[in-house]
Amino acid sequence: MKIFVTGATGYVGNALALKLANDGHNVNILVRDSSSKNIPVHQGIHVFEGDITNRGTLVRAMQQCQQVYHTAALVKLWAKDKNQFYRVNVEGTENVLAVALQTGVKKLVFTSTCGVLGASLKEPLTEDDPRIKAFDNEYEFTKSIAESLVRKYAQNGLSTVIVSLSKVFGPGIETHPISVNQLTKKFIEGKLTFIPKPGSLISNFCFIDDIVRGHLLAMDKGMDGEKYILGGANISYTDFFETIRKITFSTARLVEAPKWCAKVFAAMYWLKQRLTGNDLFFTVRGVNHVYCDKAFSSGKAVDHLGYQPTAIKDALEQTINFLKTASHEQ
Amino acid sequence: MNNNLYTLITGASEGFGRALALECACRGMNLVLVALPGAELYNLSQFIQRNFTVKVIAIEKDISIAENCVQLFKNVSELNLKVNILINNAGIGNTHLFCDGSIAFYQKQVQLNVMATILLTRLFLDSLEKNGPSYILNVGSLCSFFFLAKKQVYGATKSFIYFFSKSLRNELAGSNVHVSVICPGGMNTNLSVTMLNKKMSWLSQLAVMNPENVAPIAIDGLLKQKEVIIPGRVNKLFLLLNTVIPAYLKKMIANHQMKPLNSMHPANNRTFLQPSIAVTCPAIIKPIISRV
Repeated sequence: MKIFVTGATGYVGNALALKLANDGHNVNILVRDSSSKNIPVHQGIHVFEGDITNRGTLVRAMQQCQQVYHTAALVKLWAKDKNQFYRVNVEGTENVLAVALQTGVKKLVFTSTCGVLGASLKEPLTEDDPRIKAFDNEYEFTKSIAESLVRKYAQNGLSTVIVSLSKVFGPGIETHPISVNQLTKKFIEGKLTFIPKPGSLISNFCFIDDIVRGHLLAMDKGMDGEKYILGGANISYTDFFETIRKITFSTARLVEAPKWCAKVFAAMYWLKQRLTGNDLFFTVRGVNHVYCDKAFSSGKAVDHLGYQPTAIKDALEQTINFLKTASHEQ
Repeated sequence: MNNNLYTLITGASEGFGRALALECACRGMNLVLVALPGAELYNLSQFIQRNFTVKVIAIEKDISIAENCVQLFKNVSELNLKVNILINNAGIGNTHLFCDGSIAFYQKQVQLNVMATILLTRLFLDSLEKNGPSYILNVGSLCSFFFLAKKQVYGATKSFIYFFSKSLRNELAGSNVHVSVICPGGMNTNLSVTMLNKKMSWLSQLAVMNPENVAPIAIDGLLKQKEVIIPGRVNKLFLLLNTVIPAYLKKMIANHQMKPLNSMHPANNRTFLQPSIAVTCPAIIKPIISRV
């Protein structure tokens, strides 16, 4: 089958494109820079240069494709030009949807984030739960608008499904400086690791292999216009790192940083950014996102799609093996 | 808190109503949530029941229809629910020129913003007195203090709410029913309103608050029996400025505001992130006009 994947130079899109190609499909991918080192290489993968903000390039890359996985997005807490979030995450998504409808694509899976649902209270959040706080960053805000577009197209005759991911980790390419993989790597190298205080704050960590499988399941069994949380374990920061310690015998110190410390750090980081002009990966407002419970239930995906998240210990063992081998190869 | 008492909130499925519902649940109040038929109300009541130990009754009603207000009161009576807090929050806003609105729209707006508040207050008044001490919170708007283009009917309905609340409060002084009115400025209530808010100048954006931050102020003020609740320092400042700025200057600013407002139609959402309106001299007081 011919399948189109956006965002194949990203962490999830890359792994997904390779899986599809390994399964014997013809995979068209759209990349902005054909010399990027993150392009998945496989004989079944065909590279098209272009951009989701340019419909013409989408039409070319989507010709005769029956399925579309739209994983491309601007995934950041901050960008110099705020309009960029809207252009990529909203207009880009609308372009992908419009071209898919126009070229006769059978079904589209849209990769979104649990961030759209926000923080949880006592119980893990489900797909239908209301947000308890207004949006305070452009990424989650624009992904939420994009989700409503995807749902709208489901009513317009394009079969669409939304999958929401939590914090993804596991073997794959590195595209973000403060990913779970990076933090894990530093911890097993014995480096001082900061976690939010209290360390009992819950987060949801999902394994990349589950996420890739979840995408395929959503394409296969997902209902039109429906959203499925593809999560993993709801586990406290302390338990997460202590699990890694049990596997690796890491001697790294784990320090609970109070919220105000993180805010001061973020402010200093911001000052540095003003001087150097580098990208910001951590913002003062972003601090609030870390200092709250973020538990999610994958129950709907388990019941309706047959999604089966890997046990956290197994997932971490595989990740640690990968991180160790990867650092040896460097 | 007495376990048999209920707080009734209209327009509870979205925005400020939802934030009020969550805030009240947080304080251990049982809830009667009223909203238009739809999945949101059901999802919210499920969410509150899973996360808090309060009782939640969800009633789907379009209370812009007078008959439904009576029905709502009957439903609550039949269920034997003792309401001691009534929050009249449901309302429809508008951001268009008077000539662009249909008669049907204005009728609905007045029915919901004005009539539903009167009807529910009248219907529930006896039982509120019986279950006292009781509280009535009416949701007005900061815009009832300003005379804004594109907010003609909306502003007028909110002025009504302000007048009605204060008069009723005087009338009920000495009884065990306390009436408050809250006049919030702009809030990020839903995706499209948030988009519009992002289009405003940085100064106007300072005044915009999130519903989850306004809700605790509202309930605190209500329980403290405050007459008028103005949430946020910036909003308080705007109100103060309004009383000191001479009328001719306000008129000038209001005229000046017509231009940027024309580009703020919800239909033009795509351009919502375009550079905000340049801040010029009279625009220092622009937020007063453009926001509320």
